[in-house]
Amino acid sequence: MLVFRKPIEGVERPQMPADVVIVGGGPAGMACALRLAQLIDGHNVAHPDAQLSKENIYVLEKAREIGQHCLSGALLDPRAIAELLPDFKKEAPLDAEVTKEAVYFLTEKGKFKFPITPPFLRDHGNYVISLNRFVKWLGSKVEETGITIFTGFAGSELLFEGDRVTGVQTDDKGVDKEGHQKSNFEPGYDLQAKVVILAEGTRGSLTKQLIEKFNLAKNANPQTYGVGVKELWELPAGRIAPGEVIYTMGWPLTTHEYGGAWIYGSKGEGATSIVSLGFVTGLDYADPRLDPQRVLQEFKRHPFVARLLEGGKMIRYGAKSMPYGGWWAIPPVAGNGWMILGDSAGFLNSARLKGIHLAIKSGVLAAETAFEALTKDDSSAATLSEFQKKVESSWIKEELWKVRNLHQGFERGMFAGMFNTGLQMITGGRGLKNRYPGHAGYDRMRKLAELPANPTADGYPEAHLLGPYKGDGKLTFDKLTDLYHSGTKHEEDQPAHLVIHDTNNCNTRCVREYGSPCQNFCPANVYEMVDDTTQPNGKRISLNPSNCVHCKTCDIADPYQIINWVPPEGGGGPNYDGM
Amino acid sequence: MKILVCMKQVPQKDAPLKLNESGTWIREDVSYEVNEPDAYALEEALRQREKHKGEVVVITSGPARAQQVLREALAKGADRAIHLEDDKFVGLDAFNTAKAFATAIKEEQFDLIFTGLQSDDYGYAQTGVILAELLGWPHATIIMQIEKTDAGIRVKRELEAGYFQFVDMPLPAVLTIQSGINKLRYATLIGIKQAKNKPLRKVTLAEVQSAIGGNLQKIEKLYVPQKTKKTEHIDGPPAEIAKKLVDKLRNELRVL
Repeated sequence: MLVFRKPIEGVERPQMPADVVIVGGGPAGMACALRLAQLIDGHNVAHPDAQLSKENIYVLEKAREIGQHCLSGALLDPRAIAELLPDFKKEAPLDAEVTKEAVYFLTEKGKFKFPITPPFLRDHGNYVISLNRFVKWLGSKVEETGITIFTGFAGSELLFEGDRVTGVQTDDKGVDKEGHQKSNFEPGYDLQAKVVILAEGTRGSLTKQLIEKFNLAKNANPQTYGVGVKELWELPAGRIAPGEVIYTMGWPLTTHEYGGAWIYGSKGEGATSIVSLGFVTGLDYADPRLDPQRVLQEFKRHPFVARLLEGGKMIRYGAKSMPYGGWWAIPPVAGNGWMILGDSAGFLNSARLKGIHLAIKSGVLAAETAFEALTKDDSSAATLSEFQKKVESSWIKEELWKVRNLHQGFERGMFAGMFNTGLQMITGGRGLKNRYPGHAGYDRMRKLAELPANPTADGYPEAHLLGPYKGDGKLTFDKLTDLYHSGTKHEEDQPAHLVIHDTNNCNTRCVREYGSPCQNFCPANVYEMVDDTTQPNGKRISLNPSNCVHCKTCDIADPYQIINWVPPEGGGGPNYDGM
Repeated sequence: MKILVCMKQVPQKDAPLKLNESGTWIREDVSYEVNEPDAYALEEALRQREKHKGEVVVITSGPARAQQVLREALAKGADRAIHLEDDKFVGLDAFNTAKAFATAIKEEQFDLIFTGLQSDDYGYAQTGVILAELLGWPHATIIMQIEKTDAGIRVKRELEAGYFQFVDMPLPAVLTIQSGINKLRYATLIGIKQAKNKPLRKVTLAEVQSAIGGNLQKIEKLYVPQKTKKTEHIDGPPAEIAKKLVDKLRNELRVL
């Protein structure tokens, strides 16, 4: 019997007052904390008689250490960090400045190089970074300011009073698999906050609570996502220059699926160089058998990639979803007591495959609004909605507006998408109309019975993408081998944090209708259908929550939308050191 | 009771390790954590303090990153911390580490010093024992239980094969603590916040330099074990297989 995580009832919770609680210590949350500290320090110098304190400003981070759950390609557009810390080049861990970029379209064995790099993929002036190391550095800057970062603590619940968000409840610790308190049980705190800032990253669990409670997304397009599956490789030096950037489209996906790969040359270490490569698969594919981890493995088998990786060693693995619904999919980002930042809001430029600079910028703008709220001692919607206005008059909107219809243009496949992209480039993002409608990705998944009988002819994933992948152990890997390299670790004795609202649906309906796609889309082997003769279809859902890499794909892609990802006991999760 | 807990920052257990250029230790680019037995030693010290009052002080040696271990200990309830901070402390052997600790605490008067049973990285299991010798105190290793008595303490030691030994000892004493002696507590938000204002004394290498000398132990070479596992099939009728198996166990593997 599966027991799912929920706050323990009937315990007295420690209360802690707070001025600002930032949930999530990624680039958005850290930038927000840092900017807030800058503003308070500036204020305190100017107003010696009206000092503001940083004592009660907190960042909650569910990872055991700062940056451990941060995963991205990553390329950094320095625009926002240069605004926040003009001297960043001297101290930020930047691995290489982009020197060279190329875009390819891959067929099974061949490749075509795009004669020119599309303007939005031109990366000169950007940097190859490890987001993990970059955020560690940002975190150390935050700690220097005196703001407290609580690592190993997740935001589990939002606290409400009427239509106002009044705080955040942290995770209960020391709860066993059956949901009982262990001898070292520690109840989560109620952090009573004047301002709650959600910077949880992609598909934030508190953000989801908030959006559902107030039906915030009613006027927005449904958010759409992709999942990026990444491996870090150590290669003999000279294969790819530090700062060399390659994008590919096409194989192994068909023209019906959205997605593509990146290969970034990072810095070298002696006789080896580090390469980041990964494949983003749009989570709006039709065939429930598609497996994003397998897509990456097949991609590596392409002669072009296999040659590059030959003799190298895979050293790290990870996966993370990313929101690329664009401008029209962003919900209101401020209200009574709350603001939403970065990937949680959907600030990501899907044409440029970049969101770190937007995350940082949104953090900076939210900090300015939070500062105003603290000085005025008013964090009502009237004050915090300033953040919404700031976003709309900043370069965040300017940048996202131009690509506001990009992803929707791909809903009918790649060729339609490229046509639409071209059209949108000429018309400043408009294309055929100002706002293209969008559809949630899970809506587009087809039941097994609806799949075309002859898959290859219809362009659905060909046989090479189906079924669990074995791997050769050198170039390609099965999921468990990859998973080992994510360093993921959780307290084993705790309730499952993948909250399935109706497991009966898994056992009786999904297995028949979709063939249990959770087993395929999860890049970490969390979901398993095990034999059970008491079930009508002979299979029962079983979970390995300890494998979870916190990518949120299940919450996004499940066709029935009955999986709710909530944070496990704080401190658990992947270890993306160097990723 | 005034208790000192010696703690160490070690590479995370599951971290993929890479050897350094000279093949004598690992590269620094791994994540670190509190050495597991030390976490139990700290927990035990906190429990003893809860029972008998007193003070818990934590000490570590290592570069700036090692301070994390002390901060975690302070967040869980230790009263103050001592950090012997220098990159060079990383390479010290157990003898010199113990000497450095003994020098750093010579002004203090502890009733008990706890260390973890051994470190997850070097695994010497010597620092605590040598420290006791340097201080001229009695020590006991692999401790599973500690009771205060009128004359001192009574401890339970774990021996091989499920046997335990109970020892009465006077104070002051050094104990090396076995993992699993208790259940670890979680740090709390308020604990983490308060830890920021707890005293942390830094000790430089220069302050203890005169006490330490050249390493008596040295790692010549580290290497990743080669996979040499071989599977051998023994075929034939059962009686013959049994005979061949016994022969192998007796004459090749010499386990019978």
